[in-house]
Amino acid sequence: MSAALPRAIEPVELPEWLRAALSQPVTASLAPTGVQTLACEQILSWGLPTARDEEWRWTNLRPIARLSATSTIDNTASPKTPATDLTAFVPNAWVIRCNGGQLQPLPQNLPAGITITPLTEASEADCAAAFAPRAQGRNDALVALNTALAGDGFVLDIAAHADIQAPILIDWHDTPHEANHSHTRLLIRLGAHSKATLIEATPSSCSNTPLSTYWRNAVSVIEQGANSQLNHINLGLGDYQRLLTDRSFVHLERDARYRSIHIQLGGQLTRHEIDVNISAPGAHCDLLGLMMPRGKQVMDTHTRITHGAPHTTSNEHYLIIADDAGRGIFKGRILVAQDAQKIEAYQNSRNLLLSNTAEIDTKPELEIYADDVKCSHGATIGRLDDEAIYYLQSRGISAANARKLLVTGFAQEIIDALPYPELIAHLSELIGAGA
Amino acid sequence: MSLLEIKNLHANIGDKVILRGINLTVNAGEIHAIMGPNGSGKSTLCQVLGGRDGFEVTEGSVQFDGMNLLEMATEDRANAGLLLGFQHPVEIPGVKNIYLLKESLNAQRKARGLGELDTFAFMKQVRELVKSMQMDDAFLHRGVNAGFSGGEKKRNEILQMLLLQPKLALLDETDSGLDIDALKIVSEGINRLRGTDRGIVLVTHYQRLLSYVEPDFVHILYKGQIIKSGDKSLALQLEAEGYEDILKAAS
Repeated sequence: MSAALPRAIEPVELPEWLRAALSQPVTASLAPTGVQTLACEQILSWGLPTARDEEWRWTNLRPIARLSATSTIDNTASPKTPATDLTAFVPNAWVIRCNGGQLQPLPQNLPAGITITPLTEASEADCAAAFAPRAQGRNDALVALNTALAGDGFVLDIAAHADIQAPILIDWHDTPHEANHSHTRLLIRLGAHSKATLIEATPSSCSNTPLSTYWRNAVSVIEQGANSQLNHINLGLGDYQRLLTDRSFVHLERDARYRSIHIQLGGQLTRHEIDVNISAPGAHCDLLGLMMPRGKQVMDTHTRITHGAPHTTSNEHYLIIADDAGRGIFKGRILVAQDAQKIEAYQNSRNLLLSNTAEIDTKPELEIYADDVKCSHGATIGRLDDEAIYYLQSRGISAANARKLLVTGFAQEIIDALPYPELIAHLSELIGAGA
Repeated sequence: MSLLEIKNLHANIGDKVILRGINLTVNAGEIHAIMGPNGSGKSTLCQVLGGRDGFEVTEGSVQFDGMNLLEMATEDRANAGLLLGFQHPVEIPGVKNIYLLKESLNAQRKARGLGELDTFAFMKQVRELVKSMQMDDAFLHRGVNAGFSGGEKKRNEILQMLLLQPKLALLDETDSGLDIDALKIVSEGINRLRGTDRGIVLVTHYQRLLSYVEPDFVHILYKGQIIKSGDKSLALQLEAEGYEDILKAAS
């Protein structure tokens, strides 16, 4: 699938500012002490993952090592373009603003059934649950780092039987902040038979300072009770210089349904990881994604679905549109445990190369130990169809507009899965403008 | 001034000479049929006039409505009033029909210095056309030609033509692959475009279409040249006798 040449493998040393942060993390981290100490030791001995680590073969973390010690975000500059206010496209959302990793005042008058507790005020048990996923090796180094340094986060509880109609929008509005990095931790719990929509957005807030760099390393733990339903939308817009690594650990109980829609249009380096553990019969997950790397952007998605129980299903559909010297990476792992019969798992990776210097790496990884399963996967990499461009031109549409129509059309099957028409229109415009 | 004036047109694909000196004049109000056996150059003529890459014009000229057609970009030809109906309309999944129709109509309006069409008026016009082509409204929200049957694709071509109201419609084997019902619908569509200020060129393999859309002139294209021209009776003669006799008589 890949036209990649072997990349030089060099260790990525922990930068000095990160070592400094790790030498005094106790006040910073919210993790239980023993857990935090172990994570700290792990990351100090491992360093950052390199191309030698299988899960990081295509993505080099050197831009993180190159970050300067303090944030170069210039708060004083007046914005050339105002920050995108996503609430304009997502009606009636409950907005939670997180600035530089610091949780801003919670929205007032939350509807019955939603409880938000900052980790600083959470019980020991909740903190333990939030930090339950442990790093198993250097592939998980960023989880260890997050555990060592998680300075902010919260527990979001949706009560059993609650049907929360309005979406909960977490606005990762990382502007005025002294440090160059933040590590956030979320615990999201859906009670049995509950239903909610969670939108995480990294808006284009820093377009006024094109040279700013900032790294957010997030970990979310999502626990879904029986027959609960979560729509998890992740929007990475604008902000060319942003570095973003995030990982979600999703645990599904009986008949629970998890749906992730991830759209990445901005960021210098982004790495999006979802680990779904389907642990009981009847549970299902849908993972949908679109990444659009341009310039020298690198956008990476890794998914890992574990079918640990019979009669469980999963569906994955990921698109990459790579232009200029942009690089897009998708790796999807599906593991079916030995006793997990009657599984259906479907994975589709469709990719579009818009330039000769763009690169796309896509890799399915199916590991199946049961014998009565339906698993399929497909991957395609193509270019824009010259015939289609000519056809559109023959109808009076300019070559540039034809290209826009085709690129937007390609992205449409993911964009259209969003439940908000205004947001679909806004994203289509952004995608068309970038094509 | 003629609408279309092709003079001594020669064209190649790579080293292969396809068109060897075509002369054809189409005036406003006329319908011309170009017939010919496979490989005679019918589709190449259409593609050269449409402005497709990959063809090299080595000699000759084409004037369209007083402009040098061969120097114009494909989209400019379309916006100047030339519509090419494709023999094999391209499938474009993801781009909805309604977007194609809107973009193309607005591109044409822009080229003529007009503002964008009001959405309400546009939708009304499009719905009427969809109905007249006996298609379903749902088709507007499907991908362009994606998964369409042969007949649906050709009806879609005619629908686009009726929306864009070209000065000259150049229809490349629009009748091929149509059952008799679809042929009637397509023919009615073509007849609706007929008018004193427009020209239509039907490129076809069969006489069948010409029973529904009566041409003023019929030309036979063979080995890259028009070897015989006549009125509609030529098409009937061709149908009765086959290409061979006529080709023999002409050579």
